Amino acid sequence: MSVWNYVVTAHKPTNVTHSCVGNFTAPNQLNLIIAKCTRIEIHLLTPHGLQPMLDVPIYGRIATLELFRPHNEAQDFLFIATQRYKFCVLQWDAESSDLITRAVGDVSDRIGRPTDNGQIGIIDPDCRLIGLHLYDGLFKVIPFDNKGQLKETFNIRLEELQVLDIKFLYGCSKPTIGVLYQDNKDARHVKTYEVSLKDKDFVEGPWSQSNLDNGAGLLIPVPLPLGGVIIIGEETIVYCSATAFKAIPIRPSIIRAYGRVDADGSRYLLSDHTGLLHLLVIIHEKERVTGLKIENLGETSVASTISYLDNAVVYVGSSYGDSQLIKLNLQPDAKGSYVEVLDKYVNLGPITDFCVVDLERQGQGQVVTCSGAYKDGSLRVVRNGIGINEQAAVELEGIKGLWSLKSSTDDPHDTFLVVSFITETRFLAMNMEDELEETEIEGFDAQTQTLYCQNAINDQLVQVTSNAVRLVSSTSRELLDQWNAPAGFSVNVATANASQVLLATGGGNLVYIEIRESKLVEVKHIQLEYEISCLDINPIGENSTHSSLAAVGMWTDISVRIFSLPGLELLKKENLGGEIIPRSVLLCAFEGVPYLLCALGDGHLFSFQLNISNGALGDRKKVSLGTQPISLRTFSSKDTTHVFAASDRPTVIYSSNKKLLYSNVNLKEVSHMCPFNTAAFPDSLAIAKEGELSIGTIDDIQKLHIRTIPLGEHARRICHQEKTRTFAICTLRAASTEDMETHFVRLLDDQSFDIISTYALDAYEYGCCVLSCSFAEDSNAYYCVGTAYVLPEENEPSKGRILIFAVEDGKLQLLAEKETKGAVYRLNSFNGKLLAAINQKIQLYKWVAREDGSHELQSECGHHGHILALYVQTRGDFIVVGDLMKSISLLVYKHEEGAIEELARDYNANWMTAVEILDDDVYLGAENNFNLFTVRKNSDAATDEERGRLEVIGEFHLGEFVNCFRHGSLVMRLPDSDTGAIIPTVIFGTVNGVIGIVASLPHDQYLFLEKLQLHLVKVIKGVGGLSHEQWRSFNNEKKTVDARNFLDGDLIESFLDLSRVKMEEVSKTMGVPVEELCKRVEELTRLH
Amino acid sequence: MGSLLGDWPSFDPHNFSQLRPADPTAQPSKLTPVTYHPIHNRTIPPPNQVITTESKNILLRQFYQKSEEQLRPKTKRAASESLMPEHSCKQPRGLNSDV
Repeated sequence: MSVWNYVVTAHKPTNVTHSCVGNFTAPNQLNLIIAKCTRIEIHLLTPHGLQPMLDVPIYGRIATLELFRPHNEAQDFLFIATQRYKFCVLQWDAESSDLITRAVGDVSDRIGRPTDNGQIGIIDPDCRLIGLHLYDGLFKVIPFDNKGQLKETFNIRLEELQVLDIKFLYGCSKPTIGVLYQDNKDARHVKTYEVSLKDKDFVEGPWSQSNLDNGAGLLIPVPLPLGGVIIIGEETIVYCSATAFKAIPIRPSIIRAYGRVDADGSRYLLSDHTGLLHLLVIIHEKERVTGLKIENLGETSVASTISYLDNAVVYVGSSYGDSQLIKLNLQPDAKGSYVEVLDKYVNLGPITDFCVVDLERQGQGQVVTCSGAYKDGSLRVVRNGIGINEQAAVELEGIKGLWSLKSSTDDPHDTFLVVSFITETRFLAMNMEDELEETEIEGFDAQTQTLYCQNAINDQLVQVTSNAVRLVSSTSRELLDQWNAPAGFSVNVATANASQVLLATGGGNLVYIEIRESKLVEVKHIQLEYEISCLDINPIGENSTHSSLAAVGMWTDISVRIFSLPGLELLKKENLGGEIIPRSVLLCAFEGVPYLLCALGDGHLFSFQLNISNGALGDRKKVSLGTQPISLRTFSSKDTTHVFAASDRPTVIYSSNKKLLYSNVNLKEVSHMCPFNTAAFPDSLAIAKEGELSIGTIDDIQKLHIRTIPLGEHARRICHQEKTRTFAICTLRAASTEDMETHFVRLLDDQSFDIISTYALDAYEYGCCVLSCSFAEDSNAYYCVGTAYVLPEENEPSKGRILIFAVEDGKLQLLAEKETKGAVYRLNSFNGKLLAAINQKIQLYKWVAREDGSHELQSECGHHGHILALYVQTRGDFIVVGDLMKSISLLVYKHEEGAIEELARDYNANWMTAVEILDDDVYLGAENNFNLFTVRKNSDAATDEERGRLEVIGEFHLGEFVNCFRHGSLVMRLPDSDTGAIIPTVIFGTVNGVIGIVASLPHDQYLFLEKLQLHLVKVIKGVGGLSHEQWRSFNNEKKTVDARNFLDGDLIESFLDLSRVKMEEVSKTMGVPVEELCKRVEELTRLH
Repeated sequence: MGSLLGDWPSFDPHNFSQLRPADPTAQPSKLTPVTYHPIHNRTIPPPNQVITTESKNILLRQFYQKSEEQLRPKTKRAASESLMPEHSCKQPRGLNSDV
């Protein structure tokens, strides 16, 4: 039963809704603070650009984000108000790097109609009060006292009911607001009011201005000495104050974002709906405004917020495309643009649709999203793990080891690739044509298997084979010295660094050799009680050519030991437990923290923090990476060291914020890996796979990888077709000349993402859905597209089409079309037929062969009774419908009768945004108040009435507007180590660009995690004192109830970010060991 | 145009001085700051800074305000009104005498 669900974010929101600049973290530091709906990010301005400081989760959807400077304070405070009527004031404590709550409050009213145009929150520039417009006809005041403390709030009646914007005016002796509003004749005016704090009422303000631009929507208050406001319309911009009125016409555009440039308010940046950036200048003679001027600067992403940062650099936050850091140049570039994009920051929002595909056929899902809007529309390929992009490959069977060598110590590039086989060793080198060809290193033994190879000090090379250690000059390639294994013994395992060799021969003999100039010196030899399985002396101290520690893995007692060098004194012995021998050990340092990694023969990996001075091991952790023996090797990418764990499930181990992270690599099985950095293949890796040696580059090291395919138009629906290896997308493009949109069905190659074919829809025809399917008795793959004719004079479309395409020679061929009596909102493949949701009806079509061999769609049966059937999922004969406003209903198709009937419905009035079937009985829904809920079919109930009711069994406030659910996973799924079961997951995509997972857990695991969540809430507090319980409570206009049968995975997984002390605190109250908690939470992190 | 575009405000001239533009064809970057999890007790504000809305109904408040005004003795208000000009003309003198 999928009753117990776990919700977690795989990709955090990226839609930038607000931004502000001020001295938040220190009086002399300038910060950019960005709101991404439910998170804020604090950045510091530095000579090198924006330096990210903190990502702060907020228990609410941010409605207002403002910095302000209370009287007598040296730095700014941050005011945040949430859409669910909570607010908080935050202050930065530089000493502890903490966000401290200065004030919190609830500003909800029991009665009141929430504003249609969103919530407005503003702060008086002289810090006398905070003003909020949350309900029609009310203006809420939070007064400051003279010490900067907040006082009890009160409401003032606001006569204007249709408010478009409110701003505080500068330089007024009493706090004064300007109100832009629309009257009941749809005319727009600005009025000013003084706020009388004593009488708790408005007093008529200094001026008003009636009959403005019909599209006036934004007020910009102008600081002193000029004062007044700028009113931004769609065709005019007006400057208005008690003494002056200036207006200029503009090219028709919708401007919703502005950023003030100068402190005196003489210049502003404006961004319109097409992403054009303008500079608005108030021309003035001293304090007298003489005119306005507007200049087009260039194009950016369509901005939702603009913040002037410093020295001509501007942050452009976007909801529809990637946010940008831009520079305003004094001279235009070749295209006449004054805008130079310095950097851009990924934004997946709004995700309107996505599909889960396995493009590389490796058993790991990738999500391809329709992201962005208008000209910033794109497809985004989101993949978990790290990609190796193969540059070259040769067939080579039976590789037993791989090492790269430089021809001299100073050479920045590698020259040789040493490939070891069971009976020989081959040497490859790059030739003049940048091809790998076989070569010789004379002093090396090519007739046996190489156990280890290494560049050594003084331009020397070291080779360890089963019978000898050879020291060779890297310039002459001649043998300089040789150490031979004692008679009757052979070397089993060996390791080396630039100045040391450590090897083990049979019988537990451990030999330590130092590399001198043209000389190998055996320094120490000890005998251990058991055979040695693996060794490492990777230098992690200050000396990069010499290690003072050796790590040794043992057979029989299954331990890992730390020895000192050169004395080979035992410093530490750690028993690993179990019966699986360690197969690879590695000493390494991540972000300056030394670690010992120890990999077992069954794919498990231990990690320890290592004390270099005494060899002590701490913070023992065990994770499962695969099922086969792992071999560990370090490599560098972008000057940072990472570890490659080669196994049946190759993994890159790296560290972020001092936490070890494990990321899958997009390769199926890797036996050996070594870094190979040559002029032709810079920063590459040589990788031995089954029967193949390949060279490839590696992606940036991060968990989720996003590849952007810009479309320049808005993609709304996507679907993948395995058979033809194509994607079909429905897109729209605004015509440049008229106020018309053109809609297309486009076909893309699933490897190159090139558009290979396009079908233009009719005028006014929208592509509403796309499906890849085949039919009963016709196994060909088709793309089915549902459309609607959206005519300006119709409230709801009364006409649409179903188009059936085949892909022939890489082209979309229209094979059949069927007219419908409404918009085709959804198409599903159903029992070898086509199920369509058309306005208020569900309709089933058969695919019937005509005599001439062609096919046509023939209506079979339907079901009425929805407001608008927007979302449909099917399973067997069952159909789950998500209605515009009537929640979820369950239908069944009766084969014998050829009819579709309703079985049950949820009688709540939820306005749906997506539905999915979790299992036979449980269905998941998302609705437009940002909630998730689950309903269950009651087929065993006693009465018809009960059977006809879908019972609500789970409720949760996600805080995100979900547009799409899909079954699937972003990660390669291995059976859970304990139960052997795979936890089913559903992926969702949201308007803010969130990709999340809903995982259906077994009941006992759910109960355990529920308890953990309960304890975590007490340890991890809500920023600004906001309550987690309230945040996650299901909330709509009608009711607010506690979350149930859903867990907040983001909170639970933050357990792993806690300090050891706090983890122990949780562990104590839970009565569960820390290791156990870590293991269970880490398992969850591997769901995404 | 140059006159409009020049002279950009500067808080710290060093900011962005060493920033080089990213390759325009490169994929957008992902800034990943550390996620903040407050475990201290100062997420709770000072006791007098938990702000609520005044419980008095907005309409009742206005009624009371009006009735208070009406309840004031009429003669006294008339007197004060009639005194106003005199008072205001007295005031500067008072101020001057203070100086």
